[in-house]
Amino acid sequence: MTLSKDAYQELEDIVGPENISDDPSILDSYAFEWLAELVRPDQSHYMPRPVAVIMPASTEEVQAITRVCNKYKIKIKPLSTGWYHWAGPIKDEDDTLQVDLRRMNRILEIDEKNMFAIVEPYVICAQLQAEVMKRGLNINIIGAGASTSIVASACAYAGMGPSTYWMGHNSDNVLGMEWVTPSGEIIRTGSLGSGDGWFCSEGPGPSVRGICRGFLGSRGGLGVYTKCAIKLSHWPGPTEFIVRGTLPAFRLPIPDNFRVYTLAVPSWDAWADTYYKIYDNEIGYIFHRQFTLAGADLGPALWLTLNDHTKTLNDVEEMIKKPDIKELTEELRISFQLILAGRSLRDIELQDKILDQILAETGGWKVKRFCEQDMAEFTNVYLQRLGHKHLNFVWVGGYLGSWMQPGTPDFVKKYVPIAIKGLYRDAAGGLLVQCGGDALMGCGSTVAGGGWSGLEQFVSYDPADKESIKAGTKHMEDAITDAVSHGIPAGKEAIYLSLGYKDEKVWASLARSQQPIIFHFQRKIKEAFDPNDIGDRNYPTLPENYKIE
Amino acid sequence: MKSWRFSKGCPSVEYNNFHSYSAGGRLVTALSLLDGRIKVTDRVIDSVFKCQLCGNCDVTCKMCRFDMEPLAALRELRFKLVEDGYTVPQHKPVMEGFRKQNNMLNKVKAKRGDWADGLNLKDLSKDKAEIVFHTGCRYSYDNDLNHVAKASVSILQKAGVDFGIMGKEENCCGGRAYNMGYLKDFAAGAANNIKAWTKAGVKTVVTPCADCYYTFKRLYPEAGSEIKVLHMVEFINQLVKQGKINFKKPVPMRVTYHDPCYLGRQGEPYIPWKGKEKKIFGQVVVYEPRRPRYNGAYGIYEPPRDVLRAIPGLELVEMERIKEAAWCCGAGGGVKEAYPEFSKWTAKERIEEAAATGADAIVSACPWCERNFIDAIKECDKKMKVVDIIELVYQAIGDGRNFK
Repeated sequence: MTLSKDAYQELEDIVGPENISDDPSILDSYAFEWLAELVRPDQSHYMPRPVAVIMPASTEEVQAITRVCNKYKIKIKPLSTGWYHWAGPIKDEDDTLQVDLRRMNRILEIDEKNMFAIVEPYVICAQLQAEVMKRGLNINIIGAGASTSIVASACAYAGMGPSTYWMGHNSDNVLGMEWVTPSGEIIRTGSLGSGDGWFCSEGPGPSVRGICRGFLGSRGGLGVYTKCAIKLSHWPGPTEFIVRGTLPAFRLPIPDNFRVYTLAVPSWDAWADTYYKIYDNEIGYIFHRQFTLAGADLGPALWLTLNDHTKTLNDVEEMIKKPDIKELTEELRISFQLILAGRSLRDIELQDKILDQILAETGGWKVKRFCEQDMAEFTNVYLQRLGHKHLNFVWVGGYLGSWMQPGTPDFVKKYVPIAIKGLYRDAAGGLLVQCGGDALMGCGSTVAGGGWSGLEQFVSYDPADKESIKAGTKHMEDAITDAVSHGIPAGKEAIYLSLGYKDEKVWASLARSQQPIIFHFQRKIKEAFDPNDIGDRNYPTLPENYKIE
Repeated sequence: MKSWRFSKGCPSVEYNNFHSYSAGGRLVTALSLLDGRIKVTDRVIDSVFKCQLCGNCDVTCKMCRFDMEPLAALRELRFKLVEDGYTVPQHKPVMEGFRKQNNMLNKVKAKRGDWADGLNLKDLSKDKAEIVFHTGCRYSYDNDLNHVAKASVSILQKAGVDFGIMGKEENCCGGRAYNMGYLKDFAAGAANNIKAWTKAGVKTVVTPCADCYYTFKRLYPEAGSEIKVLHMVEFINQLVKQGKINFKKPVPMRVTYHDPCYLGRQGEPYIPWKGKEKKIFGQVVVYEPRRPRYNGAYGIYEPPRDVLRAIPGLELVEMERIKEAAWCCGAGGGVKEAYPEFSKWTAKERIEEAAATGADAIVSACPWCERNFIDAIKECDKKMKVVDIIELVYQAIGDGRNFK
């Protein structure tokens, strides 16, 4: 796959020679993607190579690039901070131009009074959070962490994280988008489209958020988002984010009006009840099941190891043999984290009392060791900033997510035992990390105000070991079988695996999904906005007349 | 991270933008070469060598990982390319100078000790002492900076330290050759220095240069050296605490301290290790015995700050990116020699950060950082001074002489 000289020249004329390349080494640095090995032939670490990489600096340049792609029928794939193997080209047979948006990295405005910020695609959550905290404001940082693009989570993919319960999902928090459609038009959404500024996503002006985002977010498959306005939330903490401690055991001091808890409950029924009661009583600022991502069998030992900067992973092996750690591991088996933030000291005292009452009613408890100052301050820095995101890879450098079907806690608790049993089974041979069957993590709520949750099974595999990779792929296939055989729709693993499927298999999978009609509607949207089919199938559609089940 | 403006860590990817210019991108380049997917092109050479090897990536990765050594991998990639004949043209004259004149500035070897003329120092190429003051190439030959070497030895004399210098027989530490990828040249240079010191009865080497410090501290033990290594600022801090140096004269300045990469995050103590990888819990990679973890946390951060705080009248204000998270000066890894514009851009970024503190001066403990700041500041609209920490100490001692 190569780009014609004419097309390359036209693209180079837009951005200058220093901002475009078709050197194979440059291209491979984009083709190499986390998770690729799970879906590519021969467990290759590389998704298909783009024909070139280009780095625009403005919306106008993005528009001009899009027009060249239409002219030469080249697929276009934008990338901001990148996460998952769908950030690059999907099909070997396509000529795809990778548009790296890292030069568009400015915070354009922080409107303190109206509580929103306008950002370009390469502004990451940590940068904006640092700036808005100075003004007593905060942003929802998505589960993928502080180094992810705000535009990406708000406009093009899922936008939930530990703070979503309080601050809202980023698909709801987006107040306006600037969108270069695949046909090269620039559309400004909501109130922005009528010249009234960035305050409302639904108008007056074109309310096209649903069109842009589609079922899951277009993930680069339906044009390029070049700016967005994102809602800011109240931040009742310090204006500076000053951490202390020795790397990697960083800690964030806890102000008097905050409480940082790791809570545990005796059963999954009690877990669901506790979640509902937290929702109903409207307490809490950060609400997440985080530490179990390292597995319920090894997690407690890992977190204590990490919090002693003199220790390494070897210590986990020693530590789990100790009676007190064994006891702690059992105590933490069904646990989650909750950070309370009070607008005043009286407010935090009230929230504390309510929490104590909830725990008394559901049989839950505060896990003493994880609520002590060192672990509480670590929990605070971890969940307030999510800068430790790459702890996802801590065991061996590769992990995948399975399950994660969203729903009410009562729905989630139905698949939890199936997921736990499945991971114990799939890791039994030692080809996956044996950290426990419950490596389920996820938001306290994936929507603002509570009510809707989801748990993702973190399955660690060695990306340098082909047999381990194959075990990872098999685990995902098994998880789908497990889910479907229990009447539960397939989870996140189905999206991962589909990247390696031929179109026909993708269509069959879409046709079996919960609301397949969506993908017929999305085809109509694509026909309108992408007549030359330069976007890829990350914006999924079904062919006309394709029969749905 | 405290602001958008100073939120970045890697100078290379910030300047060059393509992903290949990040640590992750370079690791992919290495893998892709190993996989036979790509060949060495000019772009590969550019992306591999247009990096200061400042180690910020290494620290960042180790916040969450126990099994990664990105900086070591980036160096190995350079060693391999140089071994296979893929070099940066601008490095060739530098390395010729290293081989012929034993310094990185291609200056005449016989003039290396000229800075010490008239200072009455013991010459350890003829004499003996347990402490050698190793000046380093930059302080020896750079006329804007060799007053720091003179101030250093005056401080040692005033504190009653028995020491000597190697004078014109002093050789380059080899650290910069090592980082440019010339492993064999480094090894030869290291062997020569260790032999000369051993012959002179040296037990401790003291150097004011952060590059030399790193090289002696972390690389020479692998070459068989057992000689103790101190940076001059560590030694001064010890002498102050022992009461052998007293600060009498106020130095009324507001300063900010720039942590040199090779004294800070890469200046951690050497821990010998030989072992192997094994897996536990099915697939978790660990090392048997436990592998030392160089994560930047144990660099030389407090001694320079202690010294600055002890100087009367001097106010220390911190930049946003400090200690293991410090932004690089831009001079390391062969970048100043090969890519001067990138090098200066990196320094300007740091000067902007220093200026944002309201400081009168940016202080450092490395002549390569200082040279780069001096060069870059000429192109900035900042009225900031560039000062070596030893210069401030010397002023505070009130010796009366002016070596500048």
